[in-house]
Amino acid sequence: MYPVSSQKRSWTFANEGQLMDFRVEQNSKYIESHEEEAQGLDLKEHFLTPAEERLLLKQYEIYLFDFCRRFDPPMPKCVVGTAFHYFKRFYLNNTPMDYHPKEILATCVFVACKVEEFNVSINQFVNNIKGDRNKATDIVLSNELLLIGQLNYYLTIHNPFRPIEGLLIDIKTRSNMQHPERLRPHIDSFIDSTFYSDACLLHTPSQIALAAVLHAASREQENLDSYVTDLLFVSAREKLPGLIDAVRKIRIMVKQYQQPDRDKVKAIEKKLDKCRNQANNPDSELYKERLRRLYTDEDDMPAEDASFHIADVSSDTSAMNISQ
Amino acid sequence: MDDQACPRCKTTKYRNPSLKLMVNVCGHTLCESCVDLLFLKGSGACPECMVPLRRNNFRVQLFEDPMVEKEVDIRRRILRDYNKREEDFASLAEYNDYLEEIEDIVYNLCNNIEIIETNKRIEAYKRDNREVIQRNKTRVGRDEYALEEMLELEKVQEEARRKELEELENEHKKKKARDKQALIEELMYSGKDAAQIVTEFAEKAEKQREEEKQLPPPKPANEFSTGIKFGQTADPSLLPVPKSEEGPLFVYEPLVALSEGPAMPPTSEIVSRGYIAHIRAETSQENAGGFTSALACERALQEALQGLYYTATAGVLSGT
Repeated sequence: MYPVSSQKRSWTFANEGQLMDFRVEQNSKYIESHEEEAQGLDLKEHFLTPAEERLLLKQYEIYLFDFCRRFDPPMPKCVVGTAFHYFKRFYLNNTPMDYHPKEILATCVFVACKVEEFNVSINQFVNNIKGDRNKATDIVLSNELLLIGQLNYYLTIHNPFRPIEGLLIDIKTRSNMQHPERLRPHIDSFIDSTFYSDACLLHTPSQIALAAVLHAASREQENLDSYVTDLLFVSAREKLPGLIDAVRKIRIMVKQYQQPDRDKVKAIEKKLDKCRNQANNPDSELYKERLRRLYTDEDDMPAEDASFHIADVSSDTSAMNISQ
Repeated sequence: MDDQACPRCKTTKYRNPSLKLMVNVCGHTLCESCVDLLFLKGSGACPECMVPLRRNNFRVQLFEDPMVEKEVDIRRRILRDYNKREEDFASLAEYNDYLEEIEDIVYNLCNNIEIIETNKRIEAYKRDNREVIQRNKTRVGRDEYALEEMLELEKVQEEARRKELEELENEHKKKKARDKQALIEELMYSGKDAAQIVTEFAEKAEKQREEEKQLPPPKPANEFSTGIKFGQTADPSLLPVPKSEEGPLFVYEPLVALSEGPAMPPTSEIVSRGYIAHIRAETSQENAGGFTSALACERALQEALQGLYYTATAGVLSGT
């Protein structure tokens, strides 16, 4: 039940400005604590700006979608939706400079597979990843607990897929529209593009579903407005403006989406390699040093390291090559 | 068991089914007929170990192993003198030492180790503790005493019960005789029809018998034969079962489904209004699990309608 879910209580936000505030805050917090690493350079030159972070994450959302689409065995849609939710939620409270998105991406998909009861073993899972599979296994497993913790252990995700089915059933039953099934391809592509937007952090799954259905109807030169006004909202006309506003916002969000510029993203990635938190970089000396410390005195392990998996790290840098 | 044989005449249980093996203090067996033969005079030497034995010390062998027989015998003899109790000692350790000593002596005698030495020890003990031994012999053990008391009590009760029954019987007999007398007198002196009087009395007797039957059976016994009382709630030794504290009673509150959206069609209408026609029918496996297509249909509709009224102002202000 969505109205009593943690998704509504803790993970649905008022507006995009609120989301932006979270991201800026995380960004400045990271810069503050790693200021000395800039070594005299301009802070803006050395660290990623919030806008750059957004661009980077957008690119990784595309990678995430591709990874899910190519996943073998083919995964159900709800796993993709859940993985997107996790990815967005994680980077609301963290910055990509702290945790590299390519590592979190795989972990999100892995946790989503588990939560949505799509049974894949870790071996099967890493077979979909190019590059060093042992290392990928270590990274996914070591980040799993971190991710779940950052999600505040709220793992249930309400995706718009079931509401879509419900709306289609309702339309077939109550409205006089011809062949509602022809809406499906449009609905699917619309939902896929909502994944790239922040719609799922701002609106309820049923609103997203309704927006998708209305969008598909307009594509098919159909008009479902009478269905919405005369059947759905017949007993609550005063609520109609709110819904219209929400649907409009969702559609604008999807329409306004632009694919990030490849060259820009490449530049950002280069920048990220310099400014990322070396303690969380499996290829860095700092990381190896920390592991060595963990191995030698596990007893007085600091608390924040508890979720940190002890991984056998090879020097191969091509691990987790999901993107290429 | 099959080759239980007398060591002297070699008779076996197979050849003589009534063979009875006897054993004496030395622990060597002989069959009954050999005992009769050898100990005609009442005493003689054991044919195996030449220990002088008395005929009336022969007992029927109870255990297969004659050594066990021997040990039982020795133990009985030793314990006749070593009859101290725990109360006779200052501490448990002393009592344990004493028991240890008994075991030592029994073991020595059984296995023929330092027989003379051990016997001397026993003699010395007897001399030193003559008084205690004598006293303990005369003293009836507390346990035995308690048991005797219980038996006595039981006997008394038995007697009382018997008397009561007897009295009842007598009463009954007397009453019967009285009734008979009354009948005869009635027949003699009243002018009524004899047959009528007889039936009247028969009816009366019948009624009385009926009443007697309805009388409660004799007071049920409220004690076991051991004297422990049962069935009495006032028994102070048994605490009443503690009453469990109960909180306020559960009050059912019907579940309120928060919808924040248009009202659901009622469950009954899912089928009647044709919603169900647009969802695949459940398989037999799903139906076995209790899942029907109406449930799935209802869930999809519910999720479609829930949250449609949501507006951004109702959104949360903090993410975590």
